[in-house]
Amino acid sequence: MLEVMNLSAGYGAMEVFWDLSLKFEGGKTTTIVGPNGAGKSTLLKTIMGLITPMSGDVLLRNESCLNAETWQRINEGLVLIPEGRLLFGDLSVEENLIMGAYPKNSRKSLENNKENVFNLFPRLKERRNQISSTLSGGEAQMLAIGRGLMEEPKICLIDEPSLGLSPVMTHEIFSIFRELKEDKLTIVLVEQNTNQALKIADHVYLMQAGRVALSEKRENIDLKKLEDFYFARN
Amino acid sequence: MSNFRIFAPLAIVMYIIVPFLFSGNDYLMGMIATALIIAGIALAWALLGNLGGMVSFGHAAFFGVGAYTSAVLTMDYNVPVFLAMIIAGFGASLASVFMMPALRLHGPYFALAILAYAHIFMILATEMTSITGGAAGLLSIPNLPVFMGFDFGTKLGGYIVILNIVSLALVVYHLIRRSTYGLALKAMHDSELATRIVGVPATQLKAIMLVVSAFITGCVGAFNAHFINFLDPEYAFSGEWTVIPIVAAIFGGYRTLSGPVLGALFIYLADQLVFKSLLPQGHQLILGALLGGMILLSPSGLLPIITNMFKRFSKKGDAQHVES
Repeated sequence: MLEVMNLSAGYGAMEVFWDLSLKFEGGKTTTIVGPNGAGKSTLLKTIMGLITPMSGDVLLRNESCLNAETWQRINEGLVLIPEGRLLFGDLSVEENLIMGAYPKNSRKSLENNKENVFNLFPRLKERRNQISSTLSGGEAQMLAIGRGLMEEPKICLIDEPSLGLSPVMTHEIFSIFRELKEDKLTIVLVEQNTNQALKIADHVYLMQAGRVALSEKRENIDLKKLEDFYFARN
Repeated sequence: MSNFRIFAPLAIVMYIIVPFLFSGNDYLMGMIATALIIAGIALAWALLGNLGGMVSFGHAAFFGVGAYTSAVLTMDYNVPVFLAMIIAGFGASLASVFMMPALRLHGPYFALAILAYAHIFMILATEMTSITGGAAGLLSIPNLPVFMGFDFGTKLGGYIVILNIVSLALVVYHLIRRSTYGLALKAMHDSELATRIVGVPATQLKAIMLVVSAFITGCVGAFNAHFINFLDPEYAFSGEWTVIPIVAAIFGGYRTLSGPVLGALFIYLADQLVFKSLLPQGHQLILGALLGGMILLSPSGLLPIITNMFKRFSKKGDAQHVES
């Protein structure tokens, strides 16, 4: 479905990752774990076309999408739910959702999708006219997810959804991901919360300092071993 | 307060009461028409500055390019005046296309880059003597014509033309603001990265706004050329055509639809009619003090003050109604 081949990218002269190759299977949930600075977020941004890679390729359904602008990739069903939510603080909850449906393909089914999001997050419906900068962290994350779903994703890249959330809220958010997974959405989940992330994963990558340190099917992963890797204890 | 409650009275005053009261007074009609010229630029500026979040110091360029385009077309190529004014809008839009590299810049850098671009156009107008007449300028630019039996060449006729241009600009502004594009532009104010993440082609959208804003300013500039029948580079590209509209737009309440128009009318007319007679030399001092006070007391502009007055007034009215 989505594949990254020998990809290198970074900011200015500084390379964040080198020669990275990962594969994300359709309908499956792939989790990328790893410490700060491993290049996880940069990888997602590069896949979205927000950063131009220095070399390598990004394949979407076996075709290179490097020449496509970000908005064109979104029309192909590639959607990012960014780290730190990046909501439109001056706009209301509902307007944020409408902005999610900005791409032409999803504009037609805006009303329908809005109802779906409100069913998924009844709390957003209650607060539909509230200015989004006044939401709590958990509500803001719900809105970020809702806005992403308005874009009608086929592949959903989710960056650090548990950042700054209470354990209860984290649990709630992950139960939503489980529902999305059951709907056969392709999910690429970047997380620091290894425990939660592994529970819903089909495949796990561990990234460290700009390279893939481990690539395993979920069932072959031993959490303790992964944590040893994570903290470089071996 | 709904748009209708502001615009219905404003339209009645501008279309019926003002011509009815002052049509005999050419001096005053000329003043009000000039105030509307500033209102037109202020609207175009607010379209870019408020909706697009791009502060432009270069609107004088669009104004000047529009003015020269229309003047040259009517004088050298005998194009009918009204048609030339529309082509002038496209001319200004074309000028804005050359400025598009500046869209890669943000905030003060964009403002300065576009100021520099504006200067280039002034130099072009000065140096291309064979077309523009150079620094000496163009004299006897044709008047606005007689059209459908009405002489638009008079002060009253000119007033009606510029009033229609400003009204059209208001409608365009309103429609854009209300559309999905308007929402996207407002979102861009918040975070341009976030708009790109949800699939807004941000640069394209900004480019379109720049072109539309330039078009309106160009038409207004063309109107001015035919209204005063004279152009020279220093005048047509004067920084005043940028600064006063910006002041008017912010003074009036630049986040609102009617603010730029009310601001322009108030600032220009108060300055020319009241302050000038109080203090013939240095009347700008009073305007400056007023602006300073305004920013301290009502940072979001003139419109909130008026709105509050209305509210208090109508509340009183309601109270009396209950008592009786």
